[in-house]
Amino acid sequence: MTVRRNRAPFLLAPSRRSFLKASGAAVTTTLAMPYIAQAQENVLYINTWGGPWEEAAKQYIFDPFTTETGIEIRTVSPVSFAKLAQQVRTGTYEFDVTTLGAGELIRAEQAGLIEELEAPFDGGLFHNGIASHAFATVIAWRTDKFSDGGPQNWAEFWDVERFPGPRSLQRYPARVLPLALLADGVAPEDLYPLDIDRAFASLDRIKDHVLVWWTAGAQSTQILRDGEVDLIGIWHGRYFEAEDAGAPVAMTWNQGEIERAYWVVAKGTPNAENARKFVEFATSPEPLAGFVTQADYGPLNLAANEFISTEDAARMPTSPDNYPLTFEQEIDNFGADIEEVAQRFEEWLAS
Amino acid sequence: MGATIAKLAERPNLWPWLLLTPLAIYLAIFFLVPLVNVAIMSVTEPRLTLANYERVLVGALYQRVFLNTFLTAGLVTLACLLVAYPLAYLMNHSSQRTAMMILLLVTMSFWTSFLVRTYAWMVLLGNNGPIIAFIKAIGIEIPPQLLFTRFSSTLAMVHILAPYMIMNIYSVMRKIDPVLIRSAESLGARGFALFRHVYLPLTAPGIANGCVLVFVICLGFYVTPVLLGSPREQMIAGLIGTQIEEFLAFGMGSAMAMVLLAVTLAILAIYHRRFGLDKLWG
Repeated sequence: MTVRRNRAPFLLAPSRRSFLKASGAAVTTTLAMPYIAQAQENVLYINTWGGPWEEAAKQYIFDPFTTETGIEIRTVSPVSFAKLAQQVRTGTYEFDVTTLGAGELIRAEQAGLIEELEAPFDGGLFHNGIASHAFATVIAWRTDKFSDGGPQNWAEFWDVERFPGPRSLQRYPARVLPLALLADGVAPEDLYPLDIDRAFASLDRIKDHVLVWWTAGAQSTQILRDGEVDLIGIWHGRYFEAEDAGAPVAMTWNQGEIERAYWVVAKGTPNAENARKFVEFATSPEPLAGFVTQADYGPLNLAANEFISTEDAARMPTSPDNYPLTFEQEIDNFGADIEEVAQRFEEWLAS
Repeated sequence: MGATIAKLAERPNLWPWLLLTPLAIYLAIFFLVPLVNVAIMSVTEPRLTLANYERVLVGALYQRVFLNTFLTAGLVTLACLLVAYPLAYLMNHSSQRTAMMILLLVTMSFWTSFLVRTYAWMVLLGNNGPIIAFIKAIGIEIPPQLLFTRFSSTLAMVHILAPYMIMNIYSVMRKIDPVLIRSAESLGARGFALFRHVYLPLTAPGIANGCVLVFVICLGFYVTPVLLGSPREQMIAGLIGTQIEEFLAFGMGSAMAMVLLAVTLAILAIYHRRFGLDKLWG
């Protein structure tokens, strides 16, 4: 009864592909079947988050890219780092391009899972990923529980006397440990490399008050919107979903934890040329501006800002007003082996 | 080729096996090959060693999660049995129409998507849900936490798995010859004695079938405990998912999957020795 399916064997793929070709499926199609690495027609397979993310990407990036280059785009969801690794291992490619966070990006580069790329704009290249957009983990709360305002920083989020009530954080140590250190009084500029033991000691203090360690973005919106928890550390885009749905919620950009998403190209894919063209297009100012506005991100190519209205910029962690309040992750200066920390975190959770 | 088939056809007892070949090929490609692949990965990732198994069998986290998985599966099986037995009895002893209605209600939950059922429980048990509202309405000011506890995940798993138990027990009950009950009565068996010495033993195969099915399916549950349960009560499938998706620890994930598979097969083997696997499907 698992939701994850095993990688489908590739035997069926060729017929599926010729069927698609025969049916003249020239539009973006969700394709669940992997294909054998071989000479390609003019198609690019992109790994997406599905849902609203894909709608925004299709409208502002995929469709304009197809119009400009004639390269057809097909999508595969959801985003899976494990699949990227399996693809290179087996030579069976389900997608050519995907997005990764910084931590995964560094591991992917070390494991030889991604192609070498060149910077399409200044400061755009990081460990062979192209910086595209950013999101922030921010503090949000229920205004029906805290009518005088909610916690303005992580130390206050940790203060269960002043802000009693069930809380939620993401089950993702690379994101949560820095927050625990901020809550313990470490200044944002002194965070990295992380003092892991101190972070876990800080987490001990709040453990009994964290009712849900959320694992999926939709889940975080749901528990905030339905009032299952009173306080939450949540991605800003997921917060705005709850706010837009009319839930009595508020947030602060203070000590928002910014993370960058990078486009990468799967190592050894026969579509590498098209993939490079795509990554450059996707991070060029106008398509990127449209995408981040619609999908609630902040652009990392600063040239995109001139295509973004002030009103939309207020909802972005990278806007000139919000960015100074936030801090950025420094995964390459993490201070410990992330995997070991993650194992320790899982053990800590279960104990 | 044609001659071979003709020769095979002369031996009629081979025909059934020949009919099985498409299925056998299908299973070999789509099930056996990936499974062997998982077994190989469990001893070769990241290098050729049994270290993954050592960690799975010795590590405190894994022991705790395995133990919790079996406890949960046992609890769910017991709860399913307690729900299913009276219901199956009721179906068996009511009019055809009523029995059909109950059967329809039971199977209806089968037709509803797994995720939808899980989310339905979130709505029902949530802070703004009807059950908490009722508890508040009868004057309890601080209602208990229902959602994200062992209670909520167990309840949802029982809901999902009870149909297996109900249908197994019901099908056995239907086959019980009423004459046996009447003769027991005529020999003086009454009430609990009648149930204990006649009815219960006659329904035992259904109970055993249902329990094994529910227990084994429950061992592999993933979504429900992750979404509804408390983080301290993880089940093994969730941990396997974390190993692979987050840590890319294919070796560890595979080793855990193999241990789970071995335990499941062991349970089925014990069942087979006691009752015979062929009974599992009625």
